[in-house]
Amino acid sequence: MKKSVVSKEYQNLQKEIAKLQEQWKKSLNPDVVKPNLDQAAMSAGVPVAALAAIDFDISLFLQWIDELSKLIVDQHQELEEKLGEVRSLLNEETAIRWIDEAFSLNSIYFARFAEENGIDEWIPQFLAENALRPYLQLTADKVQDVAKAVHGAGCPVCGEPARLAQLEGEGKKVIHCPRCHAHWPEKRIQCSHCGNDDHKTIQFITVEGEASSQVLCCEKCKGYTKVIDTRQFISRPSSAILDLTSIHLDFVAQENGYQAAPGNLETNN
Amino acid sequence: MATEYVKLVDVTKCDGCRACMVACKNWNDLPAEPQDFLGTMQSHANVSADTWNVLTFVEHENSKGGLDYLFRHSSCYHCVDAACEKVCPESAISYTDFGSVVIDHDKCVGCGYCEQNCPFDVISLKEYKDKNGKEYRKANKCTMCTDRLEEGLQPACVTTCHPGAMQFGEKEEMLQKAEKRVSEIKERYPNATIYNPAGVGGTHTIYVLAEKPSVYGMPENPKVPTSAVLWKDYAQPIGKAMVGGVTMALVGAFVANKFFDKKGKEHEEDGGDRHE
Repeated sequence: MKKSVVSKEYQNLQKEIAKLQEQWKKSLNPDVVKPNLDQAAMSAGVPVAALAAIDFDISLFLQWIDELSKLIVDQHQELEEKLGEVRSLLNEETAIRWIDEAFSLNSIYFARFAEENGIDEWIPQFLAENALRPYLQLTADKVQDVAKAVHGAGCPVCGEPARLAQLEGEGKKVIHCPRCHAHWPEKRIQCSHCGNDDHKTIQFITVEGEASSQVLCCEKCKGYTKVIDTRQFISRPSSAILDLTSIHLDFVAQENGYQAAPGNLETNN
Repeated sequence: MATEYVKLVDVTKCDGCRACMVACKNWNDLPAEPQDFLGTMQSHANVSADTWNVLTFVEHENSKGGLDYLFRHSSCYHCVDAACEKVCPESAISYTDFGSVVIDHDKCVGCGYCEQNCPFDVISLKEYKDKNGKEYRKANKCTMCTDRLEEGLQPACVTTCHPGAMQFGEKEEMLQKAEKRVSEIKERYPNATIYNPAGVGGTHTIYVLAEKPSVYGMPENPKVPTSAVLWKDYAQPIGKAMVGGVTMALVGAFVANKFFDKKGKEHEEDGGDRHE
């Protein structure tokens, strides 16, 4: 059996971030998210978060970015200067822009922002995305029971492409969004992207020695979904951590010509 | 130390499907052992070097005069104070951080002391042949799937148990579940009990039994054999201390002779005391 390809150090950092996000989410008043359950839009695959009215607290967002930066600096002293530099660039106006662009997964904007300001490319989107997630997770909590997934549209709450499924209970396959933690059931032999359920065009890739995971690959749309039997786990990690620790399966699938988001969607992977 | 885990086997939920046996064979790559019909549903008389867990079937007349058909998943108990570990002269048997008891085949010399001293009779020796045809033996038993535990996975038998008769988790949580379960079934099974024998310091496979242990063919009060305790806890440390003492005495004598016996040496050099 192989241990995760992700270092323990990075896994621990992500676990700490997940803990912070959970605290932040709990500190939010649930009323800051007002979902607009437009059935027609939802049926067309528009994510609920895009329709919802979310009352972002900009000063809180900036405070979270400070807390996140501190957490990273605690583990990586060498990043103190770089993160401090990014923080000095942030004002209320930039923060609003960051929220909008993180919301729509606009990697191009963040890459340009980094280039224009001479900072490392990963930093702006990493900070913005992680500080945005508590709002998305709160939205998912509120609409979990009513949000309906549409094949090809990704997560019904935040729009993140589907790429991670867990086997639960008696073997039910449940897609989990590592971004907002929304989850929805799906047939065992079905592509999460195009809805193809023809068993002749669905393949499974397994990694030798890995008893609890496989990759469902669709020959029709060339999409893939990681399927992990978390019933075998002693303790079940959050979907964000599970997505991270199973990243080698993404490499395996992509090396075999499959995509997490068939089409041209961007992912947070 | 990593978290201490326990496998909780609630025999009152077991339906005797034997999937745990298949899962064990499958995960540990153990060969099949064709058996003659034993006159019962039970496939193997006991665990063996190639069958690390066996589902036992016992017909029992209960206190109300009715017949109970009792099933039990039987495998290594992973004692907290394991006799096999105590008697192993090569230190081939050890405890893992999870509490499981494992055998290091590189160290095992096949002496069979562990097999003879296990109070539960769950270790067996297997005959192997090397490339020159020379026969040798190694001890084998359930490992609690320690290789899976290291990856954060539950033992194979637990994950396959469809009625949920087996659970795996932190020791305290499992003990609480066991106590709760016993209180639930007491009305139906007045003799229901938790099997976590103190004579071996407790075990890492804990049972919820419907009847007394002896009904299932389990020892009522298993103990680490006195000879094993004497050997490991007294004879070995004293022996090691004595070896240490003798070594120190020899080293001391050598040093004393070499560096402090100068008088005799000086005389020799002078040649004064010799008269041949």
